Amino acid sequence: MGRYLIRRTLFMILVLFIVSVITFIIFVKLPASDPARRAVGRSTSPENVEAARHAFGLDQPLYVQYGRFAKGLIPWPGLFLNEDVYYSYANFVPVKEEIFSRLPVTITLAVGAATLWLLIGIPIGIISAVRRGSIWDRAAMVFALIGVSAPVFWLAYLFLYVFWFKLGWAPPSGIPIGTSVGEAVFQGVFILPWIVLSMTFAAFYARMVRGNLIETMGEDYIRTARAKGLSEKRVIYRHGLRAALTPVVTMFGLDLAVLLGGAFITETVFNLPGVGQYAVRSIFANDFPSVMGVTLFGAFFIALANLVVDVAYAFLDPRVRYT
Amino acid sequence: MRRYLKVLALVGALALVAAACGGDDGGETGATGTGATGATGELQQGGTLEIAQLADLYAAFDPQKEYSAVTWEYYRCCLLRTLLSYNGKTTAEGGADLQPDIATAMPEVSADGLTYTFTLKSGINYGDPFGDVSVISGDIVRALEREADPDASVGGYNFYYGVIDGFSDFGDGKADSIAGLETPDDSTLVVTLTEPVGYLPYLFAMAATAPIPPNGDAPLGAAEGHSTDYGRFLVATGPYQFLGAENLDFSLPADEQTPVEGYKVGRSVQMVRNPNYDPATDGLRPAYADAINVTIGGDNNDLYNKVQAGELDWVVDGIVPPQVLRAYSTDPTLQPLLHINPSDASRYVSFNLAMPPFDDVHIRKAFNLALDKEGMRTLRGGESVGEIAGHIMVNSLEDNILADYDPYATPNSAGDVTAAQAEIAQSKYDTDGDGVCDAPECSNILAVTDEEDPYPDQAALIAQNMEPLGLTFDVKNFDRGTMYTKCNAPEDQVPVCFGPSWGKDFPDGVTFGLALFDSSSIFPGCCNYSLVGASSDLLKKDGYAVTTVPSVDDQIKTANQETGDARFQAWADLDTTLMEQVVPWAPYLFDNAVDITSSRIVNYSFDQFAGVAAFDAFAIAPDAQ
Repeated sequence: MGRYLIRRTLFMILVLFIVSVITFIIFVKLPASDPARRAVGRSTSPENVEAARHAFGLDQPLYVQYGRFAKGLIPWPGLFLNEDVYYSYANFVPVKEEIFSRLPVTITLAVGAATLWLLIGIPIGIISAVRRGSIWDRAAMVFALIGVSAPVFWLAYLFLYVFWFKLGWAPPSGIPIGTSVGEAVFQGVFILPWIVLSMTFAAFYARMVRGNLIETMGEDYIRTARAKGLSEKRVIYRHGLRAALTPVVTMFGLDLAVLLGGAFITETVFNLPGVGQYAVRSIFANDFPSVMGVTLFGAFFIALANLVVDVAYAFLDPRVRYT
Repeated sequence: MRRYLKVLALVGALALVAAACGGDDGGETGATGTGATGATGELQQGGTLEIAQLADLYAAFDPQKEYSAVTWEYYRCCLLRTLLSYNGKTTAEGGADLQPDIATAMPEVSADGLTYTFTLKSGINYGDPFGDVSVISGDIVRALEREADPDASVGGYNFYYGVIDGFSDFGDGKADSIAGLETPDDSTLVVTLTEPVGYLPYLFAMAATAPIPPNGDAPLGAAEGHSTDYGRFLVATGPYQFLGAENLDFSLPADEQTPVEGYKVGRSVQMVRNPNYDPATDGLRPAYADAINVTIGGDNNDLYNKVQAGELDWVVDGIVPPQVLRAYSTDPTLQPLLHINPSDASRYVSFNLAMPPFDDVHIRKAFNLALDKEGMRTLRGGESVGEIAGHIMVNSLEDNILADYDPYATPNSAGDVTAAQAEIAQSKYDTDGDGVCDAPECSNILAVTDEEDPYPDQAALIAQNMEPLGLTFDVKNFDRGTMYTKCNAPEDQVPVCFGPSWGKDFPDGVTFGLALFDSSSIFPGCCNYSLVGASSDLLKKDGYAVTTVPSVDDQIKTANQETGDARFQAWADLDTTLMEQVVPWAPYLFDNAVDITSSRIVNYSFDQFAGVAAFDAFAIAPDAQ
């Protein structure tokens, strides 16, 4: 297992390198406006543009420019997203400072939504599988269809309009000034964002659990368990569910990691100052260091989540061993 | 079972629809009885103003970098005082007139126009943590030295200050000080110019000249070591300061200082009263609210829902949704909460004078005659969004001299094909003189526009208007930044740009005349998209067959040296020359700023300088404080 972990860590660095190269190429090749010219504003002299270009290191050859950013790939304190290179061209705030100050909001949103979609999706999937063909199964699949089909931004706007603006049941969007993330949770600021964000995942997980459980319940060892006289409840929860949930664990790790990189749409619509909102603004501002930083941050989480999930798999499924 | 499910689904959908379409009882939308504007004597200080803005600050509040009218308003109303400033009102109420602020009076100007002498008031102190430090003339020199530093002023407007003798040499590191700035004593500042320019006083109303307090022996005072982030350590001189300013510790090295609590980049701004501010020294800022909270970000429609629901008092940079505008325009109880003022910005179509067929003045004039300006305005939202533009410069910059001037006026501003065709008939591109452009240059003309609504629809209208003239277009949509880059690049040889707009930097015609039509504003400068005054060398270098284009450089230079009423007349004369002889544009709209405020707000004032509402003039109803 030790050698496996070392290999996977090195592979993670390789993934970050590939992601960074692709991101860098996109920025230098796409016909977006010159970041130096954008930084100096509308009325400018050539001297101002060159001063900005020099300040940002944009007057260096491309490989030198990339090299400055490459140092920030290494997931080590002091190196990862180092501040002398990774700072916003728009407001000069270090990217790392922005990401880490916004991380509590993103974590709160992601963990809350994840909890909700597990609490909703798994029970619905179980009920749907156990009572296959019944009205509960059909209702669950309608829910799944709606949840998977409805765009997140549409749900977000609809929920805000109905439940806040019209009914007054939920607080408005955004975290009130001077309110901490914890206080905002208790004020209910995250309720609508959690619901909106969890709906798609809950629907998907319901379908996945249903399908896995139906397949598992047809296995020989389940028939054996029933034949041995175990209660149906024990058969389902003790024997069937464990196998059915193994792929769910895999998906959950990856989905949570993706969200920790920023739930772009939910954070933007609900004006939650998380990493996703920061990423959206940086993209629209063509703020390369910020976009590079957020992209690498997200890629790091996903790569790490992959590693954690794979290791967890070995503990969940005794048949899996790594060398 | 299937029927049961269908019924369930239908009931659920109907419930949602009913909730969505129910009466407007989701929040407070009616006005209070006090109305939006009250006599000054009825207004009370107090309360916290809750506002929002969609876009982040342009340069994180760094005054030497900020090139945004919104941030300029933060500075003017609340955070920074300058030698001269404005009263935060409309042009009719003197809002475009410079007033003494830190200065005791308007500057004394030498006979040759090269020397300006300012005398500073005494007793103007800084905000925390420099509350016991008074502003002196050297502090303003410090600000200008920082403005001259190309790293500290990235993105700003230091090009304006090049007229100060020695400014550029200092910025280039060739001198230890700016020769044209002298401080014979702490209350006197003498400014010497390289050439006489009538707009110099306006430059000392800009935030880049706001004083920076001293800090030990540091050359840049409190800004030392903060070349990229001074905005997060900004020391106030106005009626407000950032929350937590008293905790700033400038005794530490710059990289160990903690930014002020009241400004969280990209998230929020919190301003509280500056305890060291003396209102007796300031006749310009009422500063009614005790505190101002600004949230940054969000969705435009959602923010205006919050204003209607009373969760917010105002949105700084939003666009009032059409249905909300309609409601506030037609409901007598809401009308007092709707505020419409000219924002001093112009929207126009710009022609490249060196590209066929727009190298022919008759084509350009015909375009002006055929354009359905009313239709263009309707596509932007109707009458509320602005006034039909009959000339280039906004009226306040010309003291309304040309308010009724429109050399290409048409019935209902809807365009006049007959008049346009008569103009086309005089063009070399109408080979048979029938009023229809039939030369190959008239077909498939490359046109560049903004990809966001409503520009594509406006482009379609323009194409429809010009078709009877024989002019057809190949319209390319780009994001705004790319559009402007292409319009500004002579080597791209773009014949016409459909999407530009322009707003003044300060209330003087130089911000239109020089910036848009002087040859010095052609690329690599900005923003003379029409190439007015381009030299034959430049035209040749960029591959143009045309060898000469009209120039107004001399007229601009002359106008720039005028002062007072003569200056207004000179800019008006330039406008007339441009519209009748050069015709670089087809202007169609002078923009309005449209605001709605919450029912808590009982006083609203529009700051003509910045083109946004004056934050310091918002008064909150006593029972809502």
